[in-house]
Amino acid sequence: MLYTINKGVLEELTGFYERLYYSTLEYFDPMIVSKTLHEIVSKESPEAVLFPCTNKGRMIAGLLAGLTGYDTVTDTVSLKPLSDGFEVIKLTFGGNASATLNVKKPMIACIVSGSYKESETLGSKGEVIEVNAGEHILSVEFSPRKLEGVDPSKADVVVGAGRGVKKKEDLDMIKELASILGGAWSVTRPLAADYGWADAWIGISGLVINPKLYIAIGISGQPHHTMGVRGAKVIVAVNSDESAPIFEDADYGVIGDLYRVVPVLIEKLKKGK
Amino acid sequence: MKVLVAVKLTYDINQLKFEKDGTPLLDACPRVMGEADKCAMEEAARIKDAGKAEEVVALTVGSSKEHQRILKDAYAMGATKAVAIKVNDPDNLSALTIATIIASFIKKTGPYDMILLGSGAGDTHSSVVGPMVASLLNMPLLANADRVKVEEDDITIVSTLEDGQYKFRSRTPAVVTVTSEANEPRIPTIRDILRSKKKPIDEISPEDLGVELSKVDLVDVKRYEVPRKRVKIDATDNVEEAVDQLIKALEQEGVI
Repeated sequence: MLYTINKGVLEELTGFYERLYYSTLEYFDPMIVSKTLHEIVSKESPEAVLFPCTNKGRMIAGLLAGLTGYDTVTDTVSLKPLSDGFEVIKLTFGGNASATLNVKKPMIACIVSGSYKESETLGSKGEVIEVNAGEHILSVEFSPRKLEGVDPSKADVVVGAGRGVKKKEDLDMIKELASILGGAWSVTRPLAADYGWADAWIGISGLVINPKLYIAIGISGQPHHTMGVRGAKVIVAVNSDESAPIFEDADYGVIGDLYRVVPVLIEKLKKGK
Repeated sequence: MKVLVAVKLTYDINQLKFEKDGTPLLDACPRVMGEADKCAMEEAARIKDAGKAEEVVALTVGSSKEHQRILKDAYAMGATKAVAIKVNDPDNLSALTIATIIASFIKKTGPYDMILLGSGAGDTHSSVVGPMVASLLNMPLLANADRVKVEEDDITIVSTLEDGQYKFRSRTPAVVTVTSEANEPRIPTIRDILRSKKKPIDEISPEDLGVELSKVDLVDVKRYEVPRKRVKIDATDNVEEAVDQLIKALEQEGVI
């Protein structure tokens, strides 16, 4: 079964679940979401409760674990049923290592995006059930992420800018490259959180993306960031520092000054179109 | 106000190396107070400096020399008391056990007005311990704070989540988890460091708190790599040629 506070997804997902619970909430409030989910879990007694491995998913997973006492594993890439539980494979140490563990059921897992192919539908429509979530516990103000162009989590091509990009104006060439490739652009955490150049970033605490092509420009390749792009089919890195760790995670590593490489790349791609 | 900060001794994963067979060389990896935990400690110290808190208790699960060291670091940053939970192998405990220890300690020695934790540890980064503690104590959770504001018995945080920016507000007591972007942790003065060395670290065992330890049933840990081609293209001299080579490769991959 499913629980969501986003009624909009019910139509699309109705074929995948026997029962689809939803609540209507003005804003995401982790406290009431977890309390409502706890009621559903108590009623349904599932063997596993799964969340997307996002900031919100981790938050609700942890709150639910405290309410239920279920063991919880995050960053899960595989879950195999055993007789009394699950064999779980999770990523750890910044995604540099994977750990295999046995966890008793019932359990909670946060699943890394891109770990599974989309499943088949059940062939019938699930029952849709509304659950009253009750009063807000936190006071919440929300400003939605402003998207300039394509959503990086849905794009086939994503161009990412890191600290090698010196000025905010220089993001224009990153955006231009993304637009020529029909893709999206984004940044690393410092550019968004420290400099305020963008509303979101790619990385374990931000967006986790699975494009066909990821182009990392002026990005050194900290595990925080590379965890967010490991699902990319092909990774290109442009960096002047030959010893930057990003080259270990790249299929094609262009060693050179991004301010010389990117304009030439833009020009040649334009000509080729 | 009385504030509790829970800090973790984490592996500095940027320095983690692996054996040829993929086993991580954890013994050779330096260990530090988690980056976000440091920001949580800094946040507590600022609240104390502003005269809003009298007591700042730093807590860590584990009592080895290295655990003692990060508690001394907490003292040097402004903690008024430091406590180590006597556990031999805290890294093998489940997240829920760690959260239960922290929550039980709070119940036993509280009440506290604010519980601060890092939003995620540098090494495991599960980000679930803070939320678990909140549920176990039946307190509101203000998670993933990039900014924290405390006004009397009111806490407001700004949190960047997948779909945008949230401002969460609640009354104290509350559990607050802090990201590594929340502040620039202070570098303690030599005087503070020397003073911290003389300060006592209390020890308390899980049995004293009535907590049963549940270990993770770990089968193995191995290096994990997505296979990448790692083709190097030198664009230091001939940019044109390098870009041609790149475009050709990407066309062959069928991604542009």
